[in-house]
Amino acid sequence: MAKKPDGYIELKFGPRWRYIAPARLFIQSFVAIAIEDQNKADGIAMAASELLENAVKYAKGEETSIVVQAFPEQNLITCSVTNKGDEASVKELQALYKKIMSGDPLEAYITQMREAAVRQDGKSQLGLARIRYEVGANIKLEITPDYMITITIEVH
Amino acid sequence: MANKLGIDPIEQDKIKITINDAGAGVEVHFIGDIDMEDPSVILDPLFEKVHSGVVANKLGEVIANFKELNFLNSSGIKAVAKWIMKLAMLPADKKYSIRIQHNKAITWQVTSLPTLTFLVPGAVKIE
Repeated sequence: MAKKPDGYIELKFGPRWRYIAPARLFIQSFVAIAIEDQNKADGIAMAASELLENAVKYAKGEETSIVVQAFPEQNLITCSVTNKGDEASVKELQALYKKIMSGDPLEAYITQMREAAVRQDGKSQLGLARIRYEVGANIKLEITPDYMITITIEVH
Repeated sequence: MANKLGIDPIEQDKIKITINDAGAGVEVHFIGDIDMEDPSVILDPLFEKVHSGVVANKLGEVIANFKELNFLNSSGIKAVAKWIMKLAMLPADKKYSIRIQHNKAITWQVTSLPTLTFLVPGAVKIE
């Protein structure tokens, strides 16, 4: 894991859909300045947006936050999104995470897309698979005993 | 309605979608951002109209022009995937192809759109 970041941003907001697009644009700008790589900045902004969409859709409280850290010397960006869940949402997320993180990233993404196309519950469950394949990110899932969920992506 | 299928354009939130005649087929042209919470509300009915219209009129090909779409969230990708998966269910004499046009200057298009060609092998091309 990285040492001290060269720079970071932290955003906290009540989970409202209308704040996601401005957060995405702000994060894109921050990363583009931090690592001078437009494509990587675009990818991380997309990933942050997907994580925030999930947080807003499924959060069980107001405590949603995102932290983006830049480690230019290691050519590393990390992005962590934290929100409150409950027992059922945590179990569903853990099962999804296990499924997506096993096997080839592209195959996992295609499988999720095929399943999403026939889902009847309104969910897509595509975000994590998309991030893993399209951004090449390492994804970590942490859950506290009181169901605070943190998903962290690491992009080199 | 400037298209042979008689489908109205959509302009809602940050997205504009037009259906245009394109040779023997039609073009579905996306302009703006698809980042609303539930894009299936507009995309599912639109894709169903395009799909049934193309099959009924035996048009053979649809151009999906994403070149001016700045952002597509995963819920939007789900809607596109759902449309593409309809091709797998068609009998041979009703099949058509989807030609995806993408913009190499927009990062998500380079990484996201080619994956759609894997859903129904041979049915979707990207250019």
